[in-house]
Amino acid sequence: MSRPANPLAGLGAVIWLAVVLVPVYVMVSVSLTRQDEALGGNALRPPHHPTLANYGTVLDNGFGHFLANTVLVAAVVVGIVLVLCVPLAYVAVRTRGVWSGGAFRLFLLGVAVPAQAVVVPLYLMITKLNLYDSLLAVALPTAAFAMPVSVLVLTGTLRDIPEELYEAMALDGASPARMLFRLVVPLARGGIGTVVVYASLQAWNGFLFPLIFTQSEDSRMLTLGLFTYVSQFGVNIPALLASVVLSGVPVFAVYLVARRTLVGGLMGAGGK
Amino acid sequence: METYSRRWFLGAGTTALVSAAGLTACGSGGPGGSDGTLTAFVYGDDAAKVQAKAVSRFNASAAARETKGSLRLEKVPGAEYPAKLRTAMGSPNAPDVFFNWGGGSIKAYREAGQIVDLTGTIAGDPVLKNGFLPSVLAAGALGGREYGIPMRGMQPVILFYNKTLFAEHGLKPPATWDQLLDNNARLKKAGITPFALGGADIWPELMWLEYLVDRIGGPEVFDRVKNGDPAGWGDPAVLKAARTVRELVDDGAFGKGFSSVAYTNGGAPAALAKGKAAMHLMGSWEYSTQLGKFPDFARGHLGWCPFPEFDGGAGDVRNVVGNPTNYWSVNTRTRNKDTALAFLRTCASQTYARELIANGDVPATANADKLLDASPSPEFARFQYRLVREAPAFTLSWDQAVDPDAATPMLTEVNKLFVGKSSPERFVAALKALK
Amino acid sequence: MSAARGAGRPHPSWALPAVLFFGFFALVPMALAFGLSFTSWNGLGEPRPAGLANWHALLTDGRLTRSLGVTVALTVVSCAFQTTAALLLGVWAAGPQRNRAVLSAVFFVPFLLSSTAVSLLFYALLDPNFGIVPGDTLGTTSGAFLALVFVGGWQFIPFHTLIYQGGARQIPEVLYQAAAIDGAGRLRRFRSITLPQLRNTAATSLVLMVVGSLTYFETVLILTQGGPGTDTAILPYLMYEAGFKAYDFGYASAIASFLVVAATALSLLLVRVTGFGAMRSTREGM
Repeated sequence: MSRPANPLAGLGAVIWLAVVLVPVYVMVSVSLTRQDEALGGNALRPPHHPTLANYGTVLDNGFGHFLANTVLVAAVVVGIVLVLCVPLAYVAVRTRGVWSGGAFRLFLLGVAVPAQAVVVPLYLMITKLNLYDSLLAVALPTAAFAMPVSVLVLTGTLRDIPEELYEAMALDGASPARMLFRLVVPLARGGIGTVVVYASLQAWNGFLFPLIFTQSEDSRMLTLGLFTYVSQFGVNIPALLASVVLSGVPVFAVYLVARRTLVGGLMGAGGK
Repeated sequence: METYSRRWFLGAGTTALVSAAGLTACGSGGPGGSDGTLTAFVYGDDAAKVQAKAVSRFNASAAARETKGSLRLEKVPGAEYPAKLRTAMGSPNAPDVFFNWGGGSIKAYREAGQIVDLTGTIAGDPVLKNGFLPSVLAAGALGGREYGIPMRGMQPVILFYNKTLFAEHGLKPPATWDQLLDNNARLKKAGITPFALGGADIWPELMWLEYLVDRIGGPEVFDRVKNGDPAGWGDPAVLKAARTVRELVDDGAFGKGFSSVAYTNGGAPAALAKGKAAMHLMGSWEYSTQLGKFPDFARGHLGWCPFPEFDGGAGDVRNVVGNPTNYWSVNTRTRNKDTALAFLRTCASQTYARELIANGDVPATANADKLLDASPSPEFARFQYRLVREAPAFTLSWDQAVDPDAATPMLTEVNKLFVGKSSPERFVAALKALK
Repeated sequence: MSAARGAGRPHPSWALPAVLFFGFFALVPMALAFGLSFTSWNGLGEPRPAGLANWHALLTDGRLTRSLGVTVALTVVSCAFQTTAALLLGVWAAGPQRNRAVLSAVFFVPFLLSSTAVSLLFYALLDPNFGIVPGDTLGTTSGAFLALVFVGGWQFIPFHTLIYQGGARQIPEVLYQAAAIDGAGRLRRFRSITLPQLRNTAATSLVLMVVGSLTYFETVLILTQGGPGTDTAILPYLMYEAGFKAYDFGYASAIASFLVVAATALSLLLVRVTGFGAMRSTREGM
């Protein structure tokens, strides 16, 4: 009763529901339509002869492999970001030196720099490093550009760990490393969750790096796979939309299984 | 001094990178490998399956054994093919053999010394020399030197129309501009958009200007531009063509929403097949597109004709624009030129021509004439072959003929003209200002 | 006490791997972009010195100012749209309605798709003949612009809604109870309690929005290709076009350098305005 429902916001929510659902409905319905029936005039009409053939077409064209590549890159990006950023945030929060402050500020400056800006020099570097057309070529710079926001989120979380807890552990003779694993990491779980979600999203959404740094079908990632389907399927809209639907399925599965963690992680971004 | 420090900067940067390479380069097993397998890049659309077949046949052939090599076909996503080719060519994973459009599309590679001059090879090899239509072989040349072997069908731009709609409204395919305008008026009265146009992709818009400039001023107008003189855009024929485009747009010849219609996602072909539009100016691949997506329409209701004559124009009505064909070229840095050249020779073979024809293509080979009966649509194939063989001039698509750095701004200007962001006069002025 | 005071202070060198990695894959490329902006390079062979030619062209050919205008406009309008929608939806979703959980889950669906997938979906939906949006959306400047704003919002509003929902949940109930006792109306409570309490949440969300809207690149590439004309060519797209369509990597690098400088300035501004840079938490003063 203390937080009464707002009918106006409720109305807005219903409108937004339509805004979300209509495109999603068209996407699913067209993806189930036979090709000669699609583009028949009214996209809102359900298919006459529903078919899963379009999904077969997509799965036969390397979808699983592209998805596996994306998952692999996401895992590497998350790994790099956590391994590097947690110690950095720990240093930034717990020491006062010129160097640690400087390091933190360095990352702050990068917060708004879009990764796309440096794709040309990165391309030059990638070719010189002999990384062209490897998944590492995508993962390394993606991780680097996911770091600033991750550092921000982690320092925010770490700052809330009370001084008393460190003191208590120090009295037991704990080293900084032990404190990191026994105190900092467990208490920063919320922030770490946010970083995991954020960093995987960077890999999941990445498009330009896979487009420029990879070439062969072996190293094609899902976003680029979808883009490729546009020309590969010629003008096969149902198959194209089937691929779009399929690309959402794995994340939806993750969402259903780990809804609480995922939402918690995302909410954490706005935390306090 | 300035130059020195800049060089130092780049040099130092590169050295740092290369030394770091040892640390980081662990997961980079490039394609090809070191086992003598060459890589071939092909535009990854539906038709690439013909090339895939050719590659596996070649790998099993005596020629592959004799030259101790084999090929691996890499299907590159279509829309960004030129960019992918460029980035790959600048990398250590460059292809040995690559698909291209000839003309401006290979100029940079020639200047960088990355494309094999095939002039001598072709002249000394009767299979290659007599295997292809001379005009098509020539269209891929640069400054009189040959760099490519034709490897796909001809792709002239053709005016397609919906025969059923035409019959219903008592229309005939337009042979002159007046007939075209007359058709338009009657179609619009019936609530039908005269021409489907995939304006979201921009390049379909370019086809209109290419044909109009040819019909109004003849092929010489664009030839001048292609040969490096941007002042050629100042020819009155270009202005007249631009004005004609504006008249068509203002008249509603392309419908109201053409900028939101795309060719690549199927909007424009569907508009023709479903009777929303009566005609469609498009490359000859439109036929196979329709056959794939709307087979009943393609077999029974799809008509085609040459682009009409423009009254008082200087261009021959038999002239064609489009892509004469696509070419295979060879990278100078290939590890096995013999294998690459042996593979290129198979493009002149009858087996390969038959496979192209079975896919609905009309190959630019000299022997194609006799094989066309095997085409899934012999009527269309013969029309196309005759159109190209009898054309006094075959103008290469402008966006492939000019330098890539001029092609992008050119397409932008074309788009501005169509959507009304630019006047015909400003359009001409902007084109003249291109490098 | 004073011995324990410095407890858990790791050696600053722990930060070194992160700094080196970020330096190599983010800062070196930024510096390299600046260096390349003084060269002429078409992607083949090695870059050649070109003096100030690229910068001269960039500052005089008018493309930069136009593109910058589009970028700023797109960012501002997107942020306004997304903030309004996310604020209302988020506060609503934090409320007690019964169907809220189900609806929140549905709202979340667009966010599960990648930007590429979303762009491809709307590419099909905007076809005037066969999609669900009549008229020439992408053929007019305002239509194409609003399409980008909408598509970006469609995908990212779910995310920001969650952020606001999280923020709204943490507003202490007592505040509302006190206001109710004072007889404050619904609008009044929203204005004087909800909004001020969400200030930090809004700051976070806004930072992520601004950063995100600079990455509309694939939406532009797939949906509008910068058109009609160059009316939706945002800076990252302009850079891509110069680099990977015209192969003028020197000019593209000049755009990139400008983008880096502008984005860094923006970062500074955001950090200052939102107080993110306040390294020392309140605890430090205790």
